[in-house]
Amino acid sequence: MISKHVFLGAALALGLSFPLAEAADGTKYGSGVALSSPTPVSSLLAKPEAYLGKTVRVDGVITAVCEKRGCWMQITDTDKAIRIKVEDGVIVFPLTAMGKRASAEGTLEAVHLSSEQAEAEAKRHAEEHKGEAKSEAPRAGTTYQIRGTGAVVY
Amino acid sequence: MSWRRLLVVLHRDIGYLCAGLTVIYAVSGIAVNHVGDWNPNYDVRRSQLELGTLPTGDDSAAARIALEKLRITDKPRALVRISPAHLRVFLENRTLTIEIPAGHLEDEQVSRRPVFFQMNFLHLNHGKGIWTWFADLYAVALLLLALSGIVILRGPRGLGGRGKWLVLAGLAIPLLFLWWKA
Repeated sequence: MISKHVFLGAALALGLSFPLAEAADGTKYGSGVALSSPTPVSSLLAKPEAYLGKTVRVDGVITAVCEKRGCWMQITDTDKAIRIKVEDGVIVFPLTAMGKRASAEGTLEAVHLSSEQAEAEAKRHAEEHKGEAKSEAPRAGTTYQIRGTGAVVY
Repeated sequence: MSWRRLLVVLHRDIGYLCAGLTVIYAVSGIAVNHVGDWNPNYDVRRSQLELGTLPTGDDSAAARIALEKLRITDKPRALVRISPAHLRVFLENRTLTIEIPAGHLEDEQVSRRPVFFQMNFLHLNHGKGIWTWFADLYAVALLLLALSGIVILRGPRGLGGRGKWLVLAGLAIPLLFLWWKA
């Protein structure tokens, strides 16, 4: 009888403590990447109108991740960074992927915010992301991000 | 066996089967409901340190000074300039953000919340694949539990008695909330 309890307890402890494979090398998120070559982030940001609405792939180092929901990550390629925004819950980037190399693919989009919208967004953002040091509040004006469909974290 | 007796047997045995996952989903549900107040998946600890004036133009040297000061022997995953004045040093589950040349350092250490991380992984279906089908099956089982639970009791405590008022109250709460929020 005791041995049964010991076995059950051990199985439960093992099940709860077993590390889940969340972002091993070469882990695919969403549909991964299909394009064979990346576009430098500096090129995207230098002439964004040439890429708007087009599917692009970027490669670089993950320099920030949405802490609470994993709903975006920032990829830095040389000295330029771009945010990869994915649909909440559909793709979830782990916080432990910070500093790893990654490829991400999606459509380049412009985000336009008036000063009023930016203020409201900043308020909502501050409430939602309080305590997150890496979280940048949205700014007024036009910024560019990739609406991500997939990524591979190495 | 009457249909009511069959429902009792099904309700009991499906209830036993669903108990564990119901606890997991309920605890995770409370945890992620309050995502605005805490991080349900990760424990993120931050601390600050002053390194003193650092050399400019040599990121490796600045990173080396920081690592020595913190007695970190691991090799960084990457060094990235996130702005002209900020260098980020990425380690396994640890990120150092160094202001150069001022030498202000923020040390951020990340670890998974034990149990909660795994519960949320299941509840939010981060694993996708076969878990999607298992979670669908669980949802169907919950539907069976809810519907059988309504009709298995007879008499004044059953659906014909106070049961109907409790069922209506349970439905009214979300409907009233939706009406209020509309």
